[in-house]
Amino acid sequence: MNSLVSKFSSSTATSQLKQAKKHLQQEEEEYGEPAMWGSAGGFGNMAAGIPSFQIPAVADPTSFLRLHTDDAADPSCRIKIQHGTTTLAFRFQGGVIVAVDSRATAGSYIASGTVKKVIEINPYLLGTMAGGAADCQYWETYLGIQCRLHELRNKERISVAAASKYLSNLVYSYKGMGLSMGTMICGWDKTGPRIFYVDSDGTRLKGDLFSVGSGSTFAYGVLDSGYRWDLTDEEAQELGRRSIYAAGHRDAYSGNSCNLYHVKEHGWTYLGNYDISKLHYDGPGDVPGSAGHGYGYSERTAGLSSANDPAPSTENAPAVSVQA
Amino acid sequence: MSIMELNGGSVIAMVGKDCVAIASDLRLGNQALSISSNFQKIFPVTDRIYIGLPGLASDVATLRERFRLRVNMYTIKEERELEPETFAHLVSSTLYEKRFSPYFVEPVVAGLSKLPTSTPESPKFKPFICGTDLIGCLNFAKDFIVCGTASEKLFGVAEGLWEPDLEPEDLFETISQTLLNAVDRDAFSGWGAVVHVLTPDKVITRTLRGRMD
Amino acid sequence: MATASVYKGSGFDFSNHVRNEFLGSRGVKLPKATSTGTTIVGCLFKDGIVLGADTRATEGPIVADKNCEKIHFISESIRCCGAGTAADTEFTTAMISSSIELHALSTGRKPRVVTAMTMLKQYLFRYQGHVGAALVLGGVDSTGAHLFTVAPHGSTDKLPYVTMGSGSLAAMAVFESQWRPNLERDEATKLVAAAISAGIFNDLGSGSNVDVCVITKDKTDMIRGFELPNERGRKERKYTFERGTTDFHVNSERIRRLVAEESITPFESPEAMDTT
Repeated sequence: MNSLVSKFSSSTATSQLKQAKKHLQQEEEEYGEPAMWGSAGGFGNMAAGIPSFQIPAVADPTSFLRLHTDDAADPSCRIKIQHGTTTLAFRFQGGVIVAVDSRATAGSYIASGTVKKVIEINPYLLGTMAGGAADCQYWETYLGIQCRLHELRNKERISVAAASKYLSNLVYSYKGMGLSMGTMICGWDKTGPRIFYVDSDGTRLKGDLFSVGSGSTFAYGVLDSGYRWDLTDEEAQELGRRSIYAAGHRDAYSGNSCNLYHVKEHGWTYLGNYDISKLHYDGPGDVPGSAGHGYGYSERTAGLSSANDPAPSTENAPAVSVQA
Repeated sequence: MSIMELNGGSVIAMVGKDCVAIASDLRLGNQALSISSNFQKIFPVTDRIYIGLPGLASDVATLRERFRLRVNMYTIKEERELEPETFAHLVSSTLYEKRFSPYFVEPVVAGLSKLPTSTPESPKFKPFICGTDLIGCLNFAKDFIVCGTASEKLFGVAEGLWEPDLEPEDLFETISQTLLNAVDRDAFSGWGAVVHVLTPDKVITRTLRGRMD
Repeated sequence: MATASVYKGSGFDFSNHVRNEFLGSRGVKLPKATSTGTTIVGCLFKDGIVLGADTRATEGPIVADKNCEKIHFISESIRCCGAGTAADTEFTTAMISSSIELHALSTGRKPRVVTAMTMLKQYLFRYQGHVGAALVLGGVDSTGAHLFTVAPHGSTDKLPYVTMGSGSLAAMAVFESQWRPNLERDEATKLVAAAISAGIFNDLGSGSNVDVCVITKDKTDMIRGFELPNERGRKERKYTFERGTTDFHVNSERIRRLVAEESITPFESPEAMDTT
């Protein structure tokens, strides 16, 4: 119980709120506006409601933004928003597995290989990041604030459905203004493990299995072929890793490493970071569910196919033998 | 999207002490989708000339065959081995012929050219590298040549790592590390790499364990 | 008879044009050809012509070649500086050089600068500016020293001092303030170098070194690297990797030996030939 709540713990909910407001006002008078000293974790007074943004003073702000950021139509545009990603989440008897890659690209340039694409909203909720990194980070952190306020107001954790709806309503109010996010809100609430897909168009979908991003088709391929409801924890974790590997391998805009999370009844746990190239050659190493060998095609088929001999073929062998 | 990014790929060549090295990645893609991890971009021309062809894969295949034809015609007519300088001009004029409808390839030539003082008994060679743009403008560099989708990154790394008079084994390390580290920052190059080191008496070819993502 | 000839007619080949247009219409960007952002100049002096050029070649924002040669050979006493699309300047000057040599052989006289200039302008005009060569042509012939500029569309100028390329304004500023008739050889070379330096330091498209070519009646001096104002700082450390750093597939290694193994058999030991 935090200090603020313990101070008023004997009161009823309504008077509690009243007193809290009074207390806050007192504090405000003492220390100035909360925004001035960053009481809401750097979000200033934004915790008070849906924030509003300054809009450039041009006739059509949306097309103005697109003019400068849409590198698909114009590769020489000034601002390149990073995109290209693989994220996935699926629900099974043991909870939710969330797995993502860690590559950020700007055009053909790999801007970073160590991006955290899972946003830890709170100990029970995870959000994934695809599309605009800033959009996802900002709004999902903001969602975290709202979830906390919900907890304080209602004395119970917010459901995944409510949290995701909050986000989807929020981004819908900015529809057509250039927000770009494709995210999965994953968690465990009273109803059990839940996943909701929310994107910047305003779409919100409940489901068992989602993958988002440029590498999603590759991830779906592996995911669909290996998915069952009654997967064990180890099998499920391995499936998540293997799916992200497949996407990282085939998709130029995904890769570098895989971050793996498992959401269980008592919140999420971070299982680790796996180098995609290491997964290719050696596999995930000594972890539960590990296949014990590399995921790469040539690693799995060495010596099993005539096209992939373990030893060098004699066809192109040098006329004079190699000497050490 | 640039046409070089359709299939992706990069090539680099470096000069060493009485040796040259040429290396490329092994990726063939269709934009973001990687298709093959053993797409050959470097081809032997003679015993002592190799050519790297990064660019549009269909033009890589076409040009490889055109160069083979023209080199064979030269050898038959002249009854002597083609020298790298000559081959560079052959490449250049083949590309410039299509000045107004170019092949989308930026070739890199690496070779050892026979010195005038060379005799059959004691052959002497001088390292030679050159690159051209897609319409055949020759660039005779004394240090290194880079081409392909990762060229900007390769320029940066090579400019820092290259140094004169590297022995073949040291040149191998330098060119390999340059290529590997540059393509790791490029989305359209990678998926393994191959290096050829040309010395007066042998050609060493090695396939590198590169990142596979 | 349907035998494909390996010989092709001269001139440009447009066979990829339809394909490239199609790719272009699908929004594919063509790669940039190497261009020489360039400062090239030339000026008259008492005994002839001095030509000058920088040595940078660029591909968009990248410096593709730090020390390229932009003063091209036309004949022994005619030289030509090129700016614009690098391949065009290279091939245009090479082709005119060849024509000039043939012309000289057929007339039995030393070639004249006007002849080269006329050939160049007629060739460039024919291609309506699509062959992107901007040239400074200079030389000495039986009629004296001549200096021309040839623009990509084929127009020409004959002036006592000329500049071309993206650094032409910087270079011209130097000439306008310092050139005068009947300069000494030394003064003229210094002036040309100063003009090129103005381009190197004030124009981003030009850079590296100063090349100079002095053409007089009986001698042509081509000086590569007349000034080297941009030499690379000495590397303080070596960055060589320890051998064995790079991980390669050991069984993929191929070594092709170009020299068959040789064995050396020594002659009989010299003791056997004791002559004492």
